[in-house]
Amino acid sequence: MDLLRSGVKRRKKQIDRQRRDVMSSDIMSDGFAVPIQDVTKRRLADKRPKSNHKKGKISKFRVGAGVDMPFLILILVLLVCGVIMMFSASYPIAFYGQGNSYYYLIRQGGYALLGIAIMFVVSFFNYEYFKKLSLIILGVGFASLIAVFFFPSDIHRWIDFGFFNIQASEIMKFAIILFLAHWGAYQHKKVNTFKYGALPPLIIFVLTAVLLYFEPHYSGIVIIAILTSLMVILYGGKIRWFVIIGSLLAAVVIFLAITGKLGYAMERLDGWGKALEYVDDQMWDQTFQTRNSLYAIGSGGLMGLGLGQSRQKYLYLPEPQNDFVFAIVVEELGLIGAVIVLILFALLIWRGFVIAMKARDRFGTLLAAGLTAQIGIQVVLNIFVITDWLPNTGISLPFFSYGGSSLIMILIQMGIILSISRTANMNKV
Amino acid sequence: MSHGHLNERGYTMSKGSKSKLMRRCMMIMLCILVLGFGTTAFRLTQLTLYQGQELQQLASEQQLVDTAISARRGTIYDTNGKILAQSATVWKVVLSPNDFKNDNDRTIVSKGLSEILGIDQEDIFEKSKENSYYSVVKRQIESDERDKILKFIEKIEDENDITGVIDLLEDYKRYYPYNDFASSLIGFTGSDDQGLAGLEYQYNEELTGTPGRLVTAKNGKIELPFNYEQKVDAVDGNSLVLTIDETIQHIMEKYLKQGNVENKVHNRSVAVMMDVDTGAILGLAVEGGYDLNDPFTVSDKIAAAEISKLVGKKKEEAESEALSAQWKNKAVSDTYYPGSVFKIITASMALEENKVNDESRFTCTGSYTPVQGAAPINCHNTLGHGTQTFAQAICNSCNPAFMMIGASIGKEKFAEYFQAFGYSAPTGIDLPGEATGLFFNNITDLDLAIASFGQGISVTPIQMVTAISAVANGGDLLQPYVVKQIVDSNGNVVKSTDRIVKRQVVSKETCKKISEILEMNATEGSAKNGYVAGYRVAGKTGTSEKKYDVNDDGIDDYIASFCGFAPADDPKVCLLVYFDAPLGNNYYGSAVAAPVFAQIMNEVMPYLEVSAQYTDEEIKQMDTTANSYLGLSVEEAEQQVKSDGYTCVVKGDGDKVAAQLPAASTRIPQGGTVVLYTSLDEVSNSEVEVPDFSGLSLAEANMVAASYNLNISVVGVSGTSDGVVLLQSEAAGDTVSAGTVITLTFTTSSNYGNNAVM
Repeated sequence: MDLLRSGVKRRKKQIDRQRRDVMSSDIMSDGFAVPIQDVTKRRLADKRPKSNHKKGKISKFRVGAGVDMPFLILILVLLVCGVIMMFSASYPIAFYGQGNSYYYLIRQGGYALLGIAIMFVVSFFNYEYFKKLSLIILGVGFASLIAVFFFPSDIHRWIDFGFFNIQASEIMKFAIILFLAHWGAYQHKKVNTFKYGALPPLIIFVLTAVLLYFEPHYSGIVIIAILTSLMVILYGGKIRWFVIIGSLLAAVVIFLAITGKLGYAMERLDGWGKALEYVDDQMWDQTFQTRNSLYAIGSGGLMGLGLGQSRQKYLYLPEPQNDFVFAIVVEELGLIGAVIVLILFALLIWRGFVIAMKARDRFGTLLAAGLTAQIGIQVVLNIFVITDWLPNTGISLPFFSYGGSSLIMILIQMGIILSISRTANMNKV
Repeated sequence: MSHGHLNERGYTMSKGSKSKLMRRCMMIMLCILVLGFGTTAFRLTQLTLYQGQELQQLASEQQLVDTAISARRGTIYDTNGKILAQSATVWKVVLSPNDFKNDNDRTIVSKGLSEILGIDQEDIFEKSKENSYYSVVKRQIESDERDKILKFIEKIEDENDITGVIDLLEDYKRYYPYNDFASSLIGFTGSDDQGLAGLEYQYNEELTGTPGRLVTAKNGKIELPFNYEQKVDAVDGNSLVLTIDETIQHIMEKYLKQGNVENKVHNRSVAVMMDVDTGAILGLAVEGGYDLNDPFTVSDKIAAAEISKLVGKKKEEAESEALSAQWKNKAVSDTYYPGSVFKIITASMALEENKVNDESRFTCTGSYTPVQGAAPINCHNTLGHGTQTFAQAICNSCNPAFMMIGASIGKEKFAEYFQAFGYSAPTGIDLPGEATGLFFNNITDLDLAIASFGQGISVTPIQMVTAISAVANGGDLLQPYVVKQIVDSNGNVVKSTDRIVKRQVVSKETCKKISEILEMNATEGSAKNGYVAGYRVAGKTGTSEKKYDVNDDGIDDYIASFCGFAPADDPKVCLLVYFDAPLGNNYYGSAVAAPVFAQIMNEVMPYLEVSAQYTDEEIKQMDTTANSYLGLSVEEAEQQVKSDGYTCVVKGDGDKVAAQLPAASTRIPQGGTVVLYTSLDEVSNSEVEVPDFSGLSLAEANMVAASYNLNISVVGVSGTSDGVVLLQSEAAGDTVSAGTVITLTFTTSSNYGNNAVM
């Protein structure tokens, strides 16, 4: 609505509301800017936890265009780090593969700039429109998952627009988070029932999983499963649903495994955790990328070899610009550099959840939390893959891995979170 | 949710459910941050800090090409700087298997290299498939093969577009300029330039130096855009300067070989010469040397022929046995019963302990029973030596006398001195594989009796030389050594060896007395055959029973040895000559070893510039140098020859002297014959057949020589009445020109037959 309506009027209204809230309830409320005398009064009036005062302070960062500045700054810092490290990791392979050391840098840089622009546009967009779009986007997600089968390839994952490729599961991840956020908010009274709370996400998940199974894109299934579960937990799903559905799905997976329908995934699982052990030639070849990733990470040590000094990127680690870019980060910047990057991601996630919790409505909370959690999950799974704790399946590292479509998808999602942050402390009526 | 309210968009915001939502958000956030990020941080720490070194090592292995730069092995010089072993530049052929594009290229390269190098193509092909950048195909190729490979590299580059897969790297190869010279001592190196025997083995670390490394970074497929190169220069090995004198060693080897052949020695022979004042080994010859440039070939032709008859495993075994025997340094690794040479030691003990003096008398009846009830032990002279003084007992090498002397010393003292003379421990000479002497565990009286004359106890030749040198130098037991200096590649002396005295074993007085007796022994006693005119030799013969039969003729075999030093009044060198199992006419030390000792000393003493002190009689016999009579008229020349004290014989009808024998400035015995030739043709026309001098006395030999118009030069005990010819430098039946000087080696007539001195 008149979200951008500004001024004293709104401010006054807001304060009035807060007062009312304070008087009528002892529950935790979102942070807001309160005049000091109000706080004092409030303290006398009830026993609010001190943390609310802190939250009030943090909301001061909401300056300028009204977005959450720490979140925006963290996005930009991570993006700059990501592009630099992607460039460092990719220039040898760009030189040999494309004849131009800057090949990946120019493209990724372009997408980053485009993505930032889109992110800002999206941040001005009222995220509540996405409620209406959620079903349409879910439909687009399914359509794209079907569309991939029309592109000739052994593995159907990408929709090729000629100048631009997009991974269907990227759209689907977003679509599911969006839809379930909407569903969880819209049916929030009923989502604690199995019929409303468990069935719709289960149907969506099963349909998605079947399509991804035929692509095949098993890691996509895993991520979708995690994200769906997360959304269900967020909107208040019951643990017993997971027990029931989980055991059913496990039975299906075991059945498929026994009947040998999971060939590709089983192959990947074979070499899992054994990248440094020689078993046979085939597996040794298969674990080549993971092994070289471990070499890179181990070579980094505490301090790293120095920016640009990676040796493993010289055609040892295949595709260092993609999923394994973080291995080169560790090789060049060491454990210290890696931990700093992890801290940046952690801050981003913390800030994302703060925005979610401050969001004006349930939809905003669920959407911001879901999108933020997706970043966190991708970071963790990506590092598990490059350190041989998970089988090598395509899970990219947000902001770091090369890929225009996924970068733009991430920045659109960040734009949505920023949009939510703009409204976080506004009038909630 | 009764107190909830609808917001303007129709969503219910219930306070209770909202707080639950917030809690769920917090929970999920904490899960991701604590569990998710916590475990990733843990995993990264594990890989970087705990497994880091291991992983980095693995990474380096695939990233870096490590090329070894060979260090030049040090040179081995004799004491005067003559090169005995040297490394020269050769090349090694190296493949870079990871740089091959495909198997077709591998086939081309392996076929080409196989043709040039004579290596199986399959082997090279296998090497070219390794996962590395460095695989050695062949070491130590020489320039002709190198040229061929360079051409081949060019060819495949032009024709097949194969580059960067074959490398020629500098390498070194060991050369031994004197082939089989001092082979037991010097030793040899293996294909990796590592010392395998002798000094090459003993001083391997010093000689090897430190190989350098060239580490270059490689990427997975193509050259890196930047250079990562780290070079560590090779440090060349240190050189050795030996105490061995090439000239002395040659003299020793020459006569040892001669003695070895003449006496049909079965188990090789040894000669060791030591500087008695320092312990420096001047020469160490082991007969039956092998070509150091080809050490893996059995050098003994008879053994090699026998091995070639065998097949399969037996052949391999026989071959390796023959090779290890060939490489063994008999002078330090073998022990033997010293026999009568050990009487020097027994005598020294007795003198030192005052058990004997000038008044002591020893009666020999031909045999002696040292222990009541035991079988009597015979003297070599079964008729008996009668009553002898201490000195006579030594000169007669009388076994009964020494059994008595041994008994007077006593078992304990005897064992103590055995140890004190260094027989119980290795001498510490800087040569590998040194053995040590054997003594009785619990010495009995009978043991003592036979040990007194050198039976039943084992010693190594080097121990014997060291012990006798102690007697020669006034009682100091020294540590023998063969390397006097270690010099680095810039010529700086890194280490030099000095005289190391282990202990004073016996007093100077004892040594002086023993030396006098031994000198007497060499002039008139059992060691007469070791006598060298002009040089006061002190020495002792030894013949010991080996206690086994090498040639299955039913007779136990013997060891013939001679150990002595010269000059007796101020000893310079000590020499041991030892023949293991001579199977010729003689096996006595006095007949087999003593003449070789004399021949070696006769050449070495002048070389060492020891001034000769001749007796009057010796001066009479001494060779002089012929003057030149060339160009003179025959009459004039004849007159001059006679006035110079020679007999003159003229060959030819001319009136001027065109040639003469012996030639001007060469040796001619006093009163010898000068043959003058009036034309050069006459020289060949007047050839004579060399007569057989063996067994003749000096007077007889002179007569025979005169009748053939030949000259004789004399070595050995010619001066004494019982001296007879043992060896002659030109074999009987050979033809030589009239006037040629033939060297005759004399021996005592008693040795000539079988009735010899032990």
